[in-house]
Amino acid sequence: MSGTRLTRWVVAIPMAALALATIYPLVFTTNVAMKTRREYVLDRFSLADSLSWDNIVKAWTSVGMSRYFLNSVIVVACSVALLLLLGSMAGFALARLRFRGSSTLFLAILAALFIPFQVIMVPLARIMADTGLVDTYPGLILAYVAQFLPFTIFLLTSYYSTVPPEIVDAARIDGNTVYGVYWRIMLPIGAPALLSVGVLNALFCWNDVLISLLMMPSAENRTLMVGVTSLRGQYSDDIPTFASGVLIAAIPVLVVYLFLQRQIADGVTAGSTKG
Amino acid sequence: MTAHSLSSVDPVTAGSTGGIAAPRPAAPPARRNRRGSRAERLAPLVLLAPAVLIIVGLRLWPLVLGINFSFTGDGDRDGMMVGFDNYLTLLGDPLFRTALRNVGLLVLLLPVAVAIPGLLATFIFLKVPGHRVYRGVYFFPAVLSPVIVGAIFNLLLAFDGPLNALLGGLGIGPVDWLGDPDVAIFAVVGVHVWATFGMALVVFLAGFATLDSSLLDAAKVDGASLPQTIWHVIVPSLSRTIQFVFVTTMIGMLTSMFGLVYVMTSGGPEGSTYLPEYYVWIQQGQMNQPALASAASTALFLIMLVVGLAQIGILRRAGKED
Repeated sequence: MSGTRLTRWVVAIPMAALALATIYPLVFTTNVAMKTRREYVLDRFSLADSLSWDNIVKAWTSVGMSRYFLNSVIVVACSVALLLLLGSMAGFALARLRFRGSSTLFLAILAALFIPFQVIMVPLARIMADTGLVDTYPGLILAYVAQFLPFTIFLLTSYYSTVPPEIVDAARIDGNTVYGVYWRIMLPIGAPALLSVGVLNALFCWNDVLISLLMMPSAENRTLMVGVTSLRGQYSDDIPTFASGVLIAAIPVLVVYLFLQRQIADGVTAGSTKG
Repeated sequence: MTAHSLSSVDPVTAGSTGGIAAPRPAAPPARRNRRGSRAERLAPLVLLAPAVLIIVGLRLWPLVLGINFSFTGDGDRDGMMVGFDNYLTLLGDPLFRTALRNVGLLVLLLPVAVAIPGLLATFIFLKVPGHRVYRGVYFFPAVLSPVIVGAIFNLLLAFDGPLNALLGGLGIGPVDWLGDPDVAIFAVVGVHVWATFGMALVVFLAGFATLDSSLLDAAKVDGASLPQTIWHVIVPSLSRTIQFVFVTTMIGMLTSMFGLVYVMTSGGPEGSTYLPEYYVWIQQGQMNQPALASAASTALFLIMLVVGLAQIGILRRAGKED
């Protein structure tokens, strides 16, 4: 017994070190963002003399991060709204409506889950170019919806499968149409799953760089992550401004994480226990 | 107009659903229900059509197009069928061969990338001091974009950056983490593992939550050591979770390292950090060789299929032997 207690403490030390190693890069970046260029060149490790927001302001305004930020917010908000709407409609139908071929369709959607974007990006870019959707918000939104819809449907179908059929039957007897059941019963009941899937999709879309790089070639349409990659070349001699840009892109994620860690973890693990 | 068409349809509907409609007590709900029964047969179609259209049009159709496209030519030979020429070009291209070699390296490192979060999750599950904090801390980098992670590590791994300063303090000479062709791929993969082990950790913890605690108690009563408990109780009980983590970690390595490579090394130095997905991007976006890029895409898809199926096969067999 004392042996296991000792082992626990022996294990705890490297784990604490690892936790520090996980946090330190973020602390370092924040500290750099607060420094002046001169301070950074002289000593990159010392704490910033004062909390200076100049670099953040510079990155936000003159570097153009505000524009990229707005692009990201618009695209992510529309993508997530569409994903939740289409995903919950499909999930409800697959889980709670009886029709021929429903299980085959579910399997087909599951198969689509395993097509990585890299495998379809060349023809998809061509389709988007042919339809004039390339370099437009709708084009990028559609690309995100297509990318994350199979996953969304999969999670929402599993969630709706756990809703007792009696609830649906009772709502029908009360005179609801199928659409009424979807809108008045299934959407509210699905709120926890919608939140979880919504947050996860928001992170996926916010964090993406490849799809955005492919679908939004022009500079003013850049999303935030593509904006960060472009900073690297432009500000290679002004590291504090570069770090500020990185920070601007990371802070929304940190805030979401602090409040919704549980929901994110639920979404990530949803497929693992059911197999 | 509506009333007319309704009444003209009514007898038919009534005839087919009479048995169900008859017990309905009041007239108005029954009528609504009858009209509903037509709309209702269409309901699955209406609810599923948008999703199915998008998935078929923007995922399945491009997959078919892409495979087909990989057998056509680029440039002068645009649109002509060229058989396996693109695939032969790929095999002859040193950059693509490096990309394949790096995939091999990822496969070799996979057990490590699974074992680390597995062990950490075990310790958290066994409630090491501070276990409440670790999960939240370890998981955070996994929700950050590879772009942000890559940008941060660009600073940390710079030749005159903090890591080399730390190592210098210990008397270890500076390493050119991102500039040395023999080192850079390990640096990129290492950062990827650092950034994503929290994801697997959370999945493992969810698996632990389903673990039968009486087995652990029995092991404790029998005086089993920690390694014995892990090997004989935890690993067999979590075989499904382990399998899931193996497959998702491998998929992650093959499909979500683009951002890191793009930001940290741009495939360099000397092309040493190329991965198939980066190769596809370069051929499509920079070299304007979409057919060759499609061939590389198809090759990546095959690699994923083979690796995924092989893993499931191996793990199944290992599970059965237990």
